Amino acid sequence: MSQRKSYAVGTGLFIVLGFAALAYLATQTSSVANRHQGDSYTVDAQFTNVGQLKERAPVKVAGVRIGQVQSIELEPGKPVADVKLSIDKRYASIPADSVASIFTSGLLGDQYVGIEYGHAKTFVAAGGKLALTHSSQPLEAMIGKFFGAGGVNDNIGGTYQVTANFTNIGTLSVGAPVKMAGVVIGQVAAIQADPVKLDAKVTLAIDDTFNKIPDDSSAAVFTSGLIGSQYVAIQPGGSPDNLKNGEEMILTQSAMQLEDLIGKFLVNGSPGDKPGSGSSSTPAGKH
Amino acid sequence: MNAQVGRDNIVTQSLGQIGDCGLFLLRILAAVPRSMRHALETVRQLWFVGAMSLTIIMVCGLFVGMVLSLQLYHVLSIFGGTAATGTVVAIAIYRELGPVVTALLFAGRAGTSITAEIGLMRATDQIAAMELMAVDPLAYVVAPRFLAGLIAMPLLCCVFCAMGIFGGHLVGVTWLGIDNGTFWSNMTATVDVWQDIVNGVIWKSLAFGAVVSLIAVFQGFTAPPTSEGVAYATTRTVVASSIAILALDFVLTAFLM
Repeated sequence: MSQRKSYAVGTGLFIVLGFAALAYLATQTSSVANRHQGDSYTVDAQFTNVGQLKERAPVKVAGVRIGQVQSIELEPGKPVADVKLSIDKRYASIPADSVASIFTSGLLGDQYVGIEYGHAKTFVAAGGKLALTHSSQPLEAMIGKFFGAGGVNDNIGGTYQVTANFTNIGTLSVGAPVKMAGVVIGQVAAIQADPVKLDAKVTLAIDDTFNKIPDDSSAAVFTSGLIGSQYVAIQPGGSPDNLKNGEEMILTQSAMQLEDLIGKFLVNGSPGDKPGSGSSSTPAGKH
Repeated sequence: MNAQVGRDNIVTQSLGQIGDCGLFLLRILAAVPRSMRHALETVRQLWFVGAMSLTIIMVCGLFVGMVLSLQLYHVLSIFGGTAATGTVVAIAIYRELGPVVTALLFAGRAGTSITAEIGLMRATDQIAAMELMAVDPLAYVVAPRFLAGLIAMPLLCCVFCAMGIFGGHLVGVTWLGIDNGTFWSNMTATVDVWQDIVNGVIWKSLAFGAVVSLIAVFQGFTAPPTSEGVAYATTRTVVASSIAILALDFVLTAFLM
């Protein structure tokens, strides 16, 4: 009988230990706390685009979680998404003119609903609606904004052309935007290799309205965003004389190769790969 | 011609085994209510397959967590992402390593002994004796062991995971110097109770526990009553369990994720 008792006690201990381990996993290492919600109330918000927003995504004010997304459904008969936000009762004083926006945490993180408080004296009631919303910004739309959506160039009337020589244009292509202060003022009209100087001669077609660009301005090949494509940026100089049709911009800054940049950051980056200009353009030629 | 016959035999044998195994499962389930009269036997088996396996599970869990943390730290440091070590250790252990390694260890530690014990009972005519005394061996011998395996696996898996996290913390924070708060807060922010712990740890380990225990009792119960037969059945328990665990793991992951 005593032996029987000993294993019964041991088995009991084992079961208790197992459940203790489960409780530890569930409470200490996971987001169970985020799920726990006391009393909550529901608020509607309508978005034209919810992007990658998922149910149970956090709702935040000033970066602090105050609730979660309860459901995402298409509004019947309308191309808008009806998002129900379940918000903790403790945060019941959200001004009625607050703005609900869909944000992305970090560069590649999940999306969440951020609420920016308005100034109204009235608060959103349970079952009420947040009328002001900002939808999710698709990456394509953002990249499109960087490029001036391409359509801007079509509206350009008369242009004048200047040339600029670069030792390396990276992946710059004909039709790429020319920007000053981030605004599109023209486009790349032609790219040729210069047989004498042995570099790239880029012809820029600039809108006639921007004919007051100093002739000592510099041209640089930049990349829009982290993974966007490349464009020519013009940084105005201080010369009293302006660029005229057919003139050459002397001051240029070539494209930075991503490999070079990363190589600089990484200690183990291979410095031998520096002349990346040749290798980046040739693979298509090598069958 | 001989090869043809041989292959046919292997195929039909395997299919026959799987079919017998499925029928055997139904017979066990039918015997479970009757085995409630022998509840103490189930507790004794739980002690044997569960509590006695704790040491190996805890030690292995500790080392799996430690090596995972060590490897991840060195790979993630290339990208400057060592803060994610805790998260990845936790998710890898909860979703895959915890249930799978626990089940493999369980098959080796408990499955084999169940097979050998039942096989020897058969070989030494103890099962025949029970039948003579009108004691149903399915209810008295097989069902308690099956139930014990079913209950023990999730508990063992939880202990394994907890030890793995502890080992990962030991190496990552204490040894390699990741910030303690970062380690825990990143883990807490990413690990999801339903997705990772209930789906990963609980459901998978329950399924593995059922499969391993079923294979163990089936192989023991149908082992030829010779010393060679018992030895062969024990080997087959480990081989079949391992294959079943890894194949089932893929299927379950596809379903649960």
